[in-house]
Amino acid sequence: MGRHVGIVGVGQTHHSRRRTDVSQAGLVREAVDRALADAKLSMEDIDTVVVATGPVLFAAVNQPEKWVVDAIGAQGKSVVRLTSGGGAGFAGALAGYYQVAGGFSERTLVVAYDKLSEGQLQYSISTLYDPFWGREFAVGIMGFSAAYWRARMDVLGHTEEAAAMVAAKNRKNAIANPYAHVKKEVTVDDVLNSKPLCWPIKLLDVPPISDGAAAIVLSSEKMAHHSTSRPAWIRGMAYCCEADNAPERSLMLSEPLALASRQVYRAAGITNPRRQFDVVEVQEPYSCFELNYYESLGLCPPGQAADLIASGATQLDGDIPVNPSGGCMGANPIGAVGVIRLIEAATQVMGKNESHQIKDAKTALVQSGGGWANLRGCAVLSA
Amino acid sequence: MFSAPDSYPIDLPTFHSEINLPYTLTPGRAAGTFLAEVKNRRIIASRFASGQVVAPAQDFSSTDGEEPEAFVEAPHTGVLTAFTRVDSQVIGFIRLDGCDNDFPHRILANLDDLSIGQRVEAEWDDGVEQSVLAIKGFRVVPDAPVGAVKPLAATEEALGVIPYAMKLDYEHAYGPYYGRMFDEIRENGRFMGVRSPGSDVALLPPREIDDVAHTRTGTWKACADTGTIRGCSIINMEVYGQTRKVPYVYAEIVLDGASTRMIHVIEIDSLEEAKEKIKPGTRVRAVWTQGERKGRVSDIERFEVIDE
Repeated sequence: MGRHVGIVGVGQTHHSRRRTDVSQAGLVREAVDRALADAKLSMEDIDTVVVATGPVLFAAVNQPEKWVVDAIGAQGKSVVRLTSGGGAGFAGALAGYYQVAGGFSERTLVVAYDKLSEGQLQYSISTLYDPFWGREFAVGIMGFSAAYWRARMDVLGHTEEAAAMVAAKNRKNAIANPYAHVKKEVTVDDVLNSKPLCWPIKLLDVPPISDGAAAIVLSSEKMAHHSTSRPAWIRGMAYCCEADNAPERSLMLSEPLALASRQVYRAAGITNPRRQFDVVEVQEPYSCFELNYYESLGLCPPGQAADLIASGATQLDGDIPVNPSGGCMGANPIGAVGVIRLIEAATQVMGKNESHQIKDAKTALVQSGGGWANLRGCAVLSA
Repeated sequence: MFSAPDSYPIDLPTFHSEINLPYTLTPGRAAGTFLAEVKNRRIIASRFASGQVVAPAQDFSSTDGEEPEAFVEAPHTGVLTAFTRVDSQVIGFIRLDGCDNDFPHRILANLDDLSIGQRVEAEWDDGVEQSVLAIKGFRVVPDAPVGAVKPLAATEEALGVIPYAMKLDYEHAYGPYYGRMFDEIRENGRFMGVRSPGSDVALLPPREIDDVAHTRTGTWKACADTGTIRGCSIINMEVYGQTRKVPYVYAEIVLDGASTRMIHVIEIDSLEEAKEKIKPGTRVRAVWTQGERKGRVSDIERFEVIDE
């Protein structure tokens, strides 16, 4: 086991559909300035930097870290760039966590971003498919996400109505999130009656396309007190992978997420996730995913996600609130989302969440993922 | 564990693929102002608190990350600090008079006539706006007077969006397993996988190592062109790069005799009818394209539901 690592500063941009006033580098700068200010630090205090983004094709700048370094004043530091699709931000945070936990850095800045207004999102994601085998018929991430949901619908009872409840919950929660840019309350019927895009996924099951960046400062225990008296300690963090077209790949529970949560729960001493977590932040690029995560994270047994959302338990006033920030429904700058979820959970346990502070929140669960739905991870944070 | 066989390079045909993407890039305030101002034949630079002047203008100092305190106008003259020839044109670095960085651009001269330290001057291209190529290049002017950086009272509004496009061509090597699979599709109109160790079901596409057992796969096996849907969605939105008219079904299909999924499409008349008729478990059959097969998955034009 490595050293203790805490999140001691956070910052994110006010996400929007399109930022024409800043370049990618300018977007990153905003988030970094806020995170450093929050941690009461300057770049001189940072030992190493991790830059995380989605696929290069999203915004056509290869090796963007060379550009980012100038913009954040990180010249001369150890800088690595990391990409892992939708889970890029989370994978970047994991890389930073390893650096500090391993004793190679006292303070690591992780900044993650995407400027999705600049390119063709779904087409870019279609290039994740094997060029020989499937790319010709790929429909970005939405086509297969909907196909997986359709498969779960019959077996696990993840109905359109249950997913619509998720969408309505998260969209409502996003209204109070100062960084979200989609803030409109919708009813379950509105979701059900919205235009099918990749049925069963409908327009209101889908998050916005966003420009945004998010940054966190990870600190060793020794240095954390310079920034805050109440860091969000990372009690466990893992990111697992499954083969994308293996014969035994299940379309039901997310196997890599179940594996990651088993590792992380063991490290953090979690035996009853439903009771032990005060708040949960998940990356639900489509509403159907949140149902899948309830089960894969063990918040309920397989087949009971629809009951869990219907019971109200995951609402703000429920016993296990999920996405008080509004999740991806308020803003979805893909590469940044893993870090945004960490920020939203960290600020909960630090007692300074700006959307909906869950009272006395001490232990939080964060989920993120990417790739071809084959990469999934989670982390436990506590005060 | 397996050990990789000894291998040597052989030249074989490749699989051509193309990625074509349009973009709307945001240059940011500094580069956006530079690009907006080239029509006025002004080279906009950033002046930082340290006194450094950088042209073209940058939003952040590459020395310390600070933002510029002002935009200024750089002179059109400078000194050649480096040069080389690429694709029959000469490119080089120019240090504009009064600036602290090297500006990469075209040099309008023969390589043989150049030397470091020569005086150069920008030559403008009247037909170009909103691009660094509004400056056609820099030509050698031995007696060009030394210019000075000038303050700017006002500038054009920064450009918010610059259209851009990428066309990327790739030649992928098939490798022996994909190579045989696509040869079989082209020559014999059949999909062949390889058996998982100790099993009669085939991995499709074929591969050398089994994903689960991590051992060498077995013998080749022809799969049927009928199969069962594992997952499907009804595509009803138009996205860039689509080759079919919506609505249609995106389906992940397990062909009979295979254990893994292939991705294909099913044409439908209406969304409502498809919801009822096409679901996980539905049996489907391949409809091959007419005419010569090319050895691609798209030699199957689509799948259709088997009415039983």
